[in-house]
Amino acid sequence: MKINDTIQRAGRSLRQAKARTLLTSLAIGVGAFTITLSLAGGQGGREYTDSIVSANTNVNELVVTKKSEVPTGIQEYNPDASATSSGPLGGGSIATISNEEVAQLEKIDGVESVTPNYAPSVNYVTTEGQKKYDASVSTYTKSVSLEYAAGSVDGTLASDEIILTEEYADVLGYKNHADAIGKQVTINATKLSTSFAPVPSTKDFTFKVKAVSSANGLAFRSQGSMLISDAAAKEIYTYVNEDTSMFGKFILASVRVTDADRAEEIKGILDGKGYDAQTAADVLGTINTFINVLLGILLGFGALAVLTSVFGIINTQYISVLERTQQIGLMKALGMSGRDVGRLFKYEAAWVGFLGGAIGAGFAFVIGTIANPLISKALDLGDIYLLKFDPIQVAVVIIGLILISVAAGIFPARKASRLDPIEALRTE
Amino acid sequence: MIEVKGITKTYGKKQNAFLALDNVSFTIPEGMTVAIIGKSGSGKSTLMHAMSGLDRPEIGEVVINGENILTLKQRKIDAFRASTMSFIFQSFFIQPNETCYDNVVLPLEIAEVPRNKRRAKVEAALAAVELTDKIRKKAATLSGGQKQRLAIARAIVNEPKILFADEPTGNLDSVTGAVVEEFLFNYSKTNNATLIVVTHDPELAEKCDARIEIVDGKIQAIYGLDGKSGTV
Repeated sequence: MKINDTIQRAGRSLRQAKARTLLTSLAIGVGAFTITLSLAGGQGGREYTDSIVSANTNVNELVVTKKSEVPTGIQEYNPDASATSSGPLGGGSIATISNEEVAQLEKIDGVESVTPNYAPSVNYVTTEGQKKYDASVSTYTKSVSLEYAAGSVDGTLASDEIILTEEYADVLGYKNHADAIGKQVTINATKLSTSFAPVPSTKDFTFKVKAVSSANGLAFRSQGSMLISDAAAKEIYTYVNEDTSMFGKFILASVRVTDADRAEEIKGILDGKGYDAQTAADVLGTINTFINVLLGILLGFGALAVLTSVFGIINTQYISVLERTQQIGLMKALGMSGRDVGRLFKYEAAWVGFLGGAIGAGFAFVIGTIANPLISKALDLGDIYLLKFDPIQVAVVIIGLILISVAAGIFPARKASRLDPIEALRTE
Repeated sequence: MIEVKGITKTYGKKQNAFLALDNVSFTIPEGMTVAIIGKSGSGKSTLMHAMSGLDRPEIGEVVINGENILTLKQRKIDAFRASTMSFIFQSFFIQPNETCYDNVVLPLEIAEVPRNKRRAKVEAALAAVELTDKIRKKAATLSGGQKQRLAIARAIVNEPKILFADEPTGNLDSVTGAVVEEFLFNYSKTNNATLIVVTHDPELAEKCDARIEIVDGKIQAIYGLDGKSGTV
């Protein structure tokens, strides 16, 4: 019997048992639905993090920390290590990077500049006639994409300039965002107490508003912190930390390379010198690992649903073989080979798999398409959609389910192919 | 020509062994209509199965057109059946949910007849049993006699040289049964096809050119074969 005829006959047999076919397909459809949605979520999630990371990190930039052995047991005292016994890392110490080391790093071939992470801690921000508000500042990097509600920054930020967020611009009482541009804001910082200056003192730093950044689904920095230049950050840092034991010791530094293609090479050089360096790709990899784990769990559920439906297919096909004993007997009497009879039942299983896969994937697509704007609204992602349906992935899922269904159909098909036509045709 | 040479078929093992066919031999020339008659359990169905290669007797030969089909591989026997023989059964074995067309086209699909030749053959077969107008109807909508006529259409669609009919009129009243018989004999006559009817109906057997009587797996008598008549 020709393959085409067998497939058509298989399809016809299924159409004659519509309810049963549909119900069996629905079982596999649940698996297809879960798997398709998981894959769409994984795909969308990866694209989302990819765009976040590329919007917030620079491919030219390596984030560098000094390697520190994970301390086990009691360690020899290291005066250069910063104590973090009360920090989130628990007991132990973190190796820091000194100013001298920063200078050394800058000499490496291919390194354009090295900027320690000043992480300036400030008390509040205010402006004339306004209350004081808790403030958080961060450093501006031109490589990080920002969207502006008012004003704009073209490449460099002067040391006396600041970028406000929309929220800060709102609380500081400007009529509108454009109104804030050019106005002066004051940021206050407290000097850490030292043995030289036991009484805490504070200092005001004034900045001119250069721009107001708008909330954007991708740019993290624009949402929380006001941005100032590296120079201004250094100034505040110096004021706050000078004379403390921590002054001039940095946990992080960002190394800017001359050519993004050399980032991996320089990472290797830094590794040899005792530094851990993370490229933008590494950051992405870390986040993606997390997404992949989630994806794996969801796919596991999908696979479980498919496994359950496999037994459904075996069961229905087996019953179908028993019900159609006479039909099988007749086909064999008319000269159909056992192999072709087996094929007929395998193709029926394949149809069930195809139907289930198509129904499940179709539902997933419809529901995903409806849910996408709702999810984005709920998570405040703007116009980014978290579920991305890749036609190739969907096709692979359906083909995979067809193959699994055929595998499930092997046992009933074998039963059919081995049926003795004489027994099958014996009536009464 | 079908030559049956000394076939013996046993069911069961050792002390439970049951001799279904015991050293049965005869020769049927091409185009002849032959009735195999006997009571139920006499072995007549087993004989039909052996002659068609559905069953394999332990001893003996079934030589059709010079080839002993019992020594062929299973696939060869299947192909042989698909191309040269067909069957009609007492309970029709048609697929009630399929259309008449789909029922009749099955042997053509099995024999891998090219698609473009199928339609004409199906139409001719349905015309031969006067069911042309039912081609698109579901087989379930047919009456009993029409169902058996549909089964005949299916049996003759690929123009087999040998047609086995196992109690073809057993489920039909005498009037419809007579119509069915007529179609069967007609096919045999017009196509010079061998028709082998397994029956316990003496009236039907009388209409055949020859009769083989079977009792307890042995040939009791053969009438009309090779000029022989009376007890063998």
